[in-house]
Amino acid sequence: MNRPLLDVTSLAKSFGGRKVLDGVDFSVSPGELVAFLGANGSGKSTTLRCVMGITEADAGTIKLGGQDLGLLQGKSLQQARRRAAMIFQKIHLVPRRTALENVCTGALARMSTGRSLSPLFFPDDILQEAMDCLDRVGLADRAHDRVSRLSGGQQQRVAVARALCQRADVVLADEPVSALDPHAAEQVMQLLAGLAHEHGLAVAAVLHQPDLALRHADRAIGLLGGRLVFDSPVSSLGAADLDHLYAPDRMAAA
Amino acid sequence: MSAPTTGASVTPRPDTAPRPVRRSRRRWFGWAALAAVVVWLHILAIQGTGFEPQLLVDGWKGMADFLAQSFPPDLNWDKTIKPGLDATLITLWIGLLGTTFSVPTALLLAVFGARTTSPAGWTYQLARAILSFFRAVPDIVFALIFVTAVGLGPFPGVLALICHNTGVMGKLWAEAMEETDGGPQEALRSAGANRLQQVANATLPMVVPQFVGLLLYRFDVNVRSSLVLGLVGAGGIGLLINQSIKTFRFDAMLTHILIVLVLIIVVDQLSAFVRRRLAA
Repeated sequence: MNRPLLDVTSLAKSFGGRKVLDGVDFSVSPGELVAFLGANGSGKSTTLRCVMGITEADAGTIKLGGQDLGLLQGKSLQQARRRAAMIFQKIHLVPRRTALENVCTGALARMSTGRSLSPLFFPDDILQEAMDCLDRVGLADRAHDRVSRLSGGQQQRVAVARALCQRADVVLADEPVSALDPHAAEQVMQLLAGLAHEHGLAVAAVLHQPDLALRHADRAIGLLGGRLVFDSPVSSLGAADLDHLYAPDRMAAA
Repeated sequence: MSAPTTGASVTPRPDTAPRPVRRSRRRWFGWAALAAVVVWLHILAIQGTGFEPQLLVDGWKGMADFLAQSFPPDLNWDKTIKPGLDATLITLWIGLLGTTFSVPTALLLAVFGARTTSPAGWTYQLARAILSFFRAVPDIVFALIFVTAVGLGPFPGVLALICHNTGVMGKLWAEAMEETDGGPQEALRSAGANRLQQVANATLPMVVPQFVGLLLYRFDVNVRSSLVLGLVGAGGIGLLINQSIKTFRFDAMLTHILIVLVLIIVVDQLSAFVRRRLAA
């Protein structure tokens, strides 16, 4: 087993006195796709957002590529965090710009501020690298199309290419396929699994449908009310585990 | 997952459903009180402005005389139409420069004056204060101030429009940026982009259509403002209208007003056309 690229211990977070995360431990190693499962409000998304620094954790340690983020500040913290890229449910690309231009923005941190003010000034090597990333997600032929002209599934693949162009070796995906039709969802999941299995990235994805996790992920982490209830290979996951996990959703719907 | 279903019946069961409750009377009284206040304000305003339709009815003859004197319009090319067209061009130029030359200042203040893009709390407050000042001072007042520096003519009119338009357009742009989806900006921040890179590569490209739409709208307004500035000496067709009234050449005045009408319609149609193309 490889050393984990992302290692999180005793992560805790409260919003207005309500505990959303209560001592969550997990790790993600290179070459594996880990699925986060859980009912609405179980803390899956908050976990990823804490790792990315979009939400600030109250307690716990986050080690990214061996570096403890809690010990870093300012520029060195930003630099360490750049190893992780985020994929969003709402994709968050700029619709008016081309796929290629959007992918290039993954590399903004490596560009000088002057050259990054407009796609006109983006350096040639970054354009080439972005093209390679688009090729890896199978969309090189759509590079010069505006993102607004692509389908939802294609847009999410462009967002994955943007994460690759960031040269991240940890990819965190927050419900990456919830807004997509089943066929596109399948394609994006295959892509994320490929990043892990063929390119050796550490990939963690919050998923809403357990069947997607069972088919594509290597390991599943179950969260219930901000606590970790299981962390096991998907092959050993039983119906009883999932039943227990989604009890709050059934309560809410009843 | 699904609840047990007992056939396809969806008939309501009045014996078990809770009784509907009407909205409270108190809310109704609130609306009535608000309406009373609005009516009262209008009574005060009518008294304060001497709004008496009877005066208009009694004095219709004076107005008819005035209009009769201005009809038919003076269509002499050399004396009226040619100077009118030349002056209209000046009016258009004042409106154009007043709009485009305020783009850099408005953009800068908009980026600092939008909560989502401003680097710090104090820069936001400062930018908002500057925008409020430029917006609060009317363009005519700016024009009078600049006349004392550069003399009469179109130039102080341009300067006045730049100032006032910076305030209005900066505020409109800042609000457009605050209302746009902040997701792409968050995505770039999480990828390690700095604030300027986020603004240049996410926020601004997201709002380009709104920005251009607002810019055209302001051009439309500024051309009309430059007419009024002409009345106080900033040149252009407004000045000619003022002069023709003072020299009792009401037929020439009517010609100039007709030229203005055409100008306003052309500018309006043009900006509507461009905005439609942008939206598509």
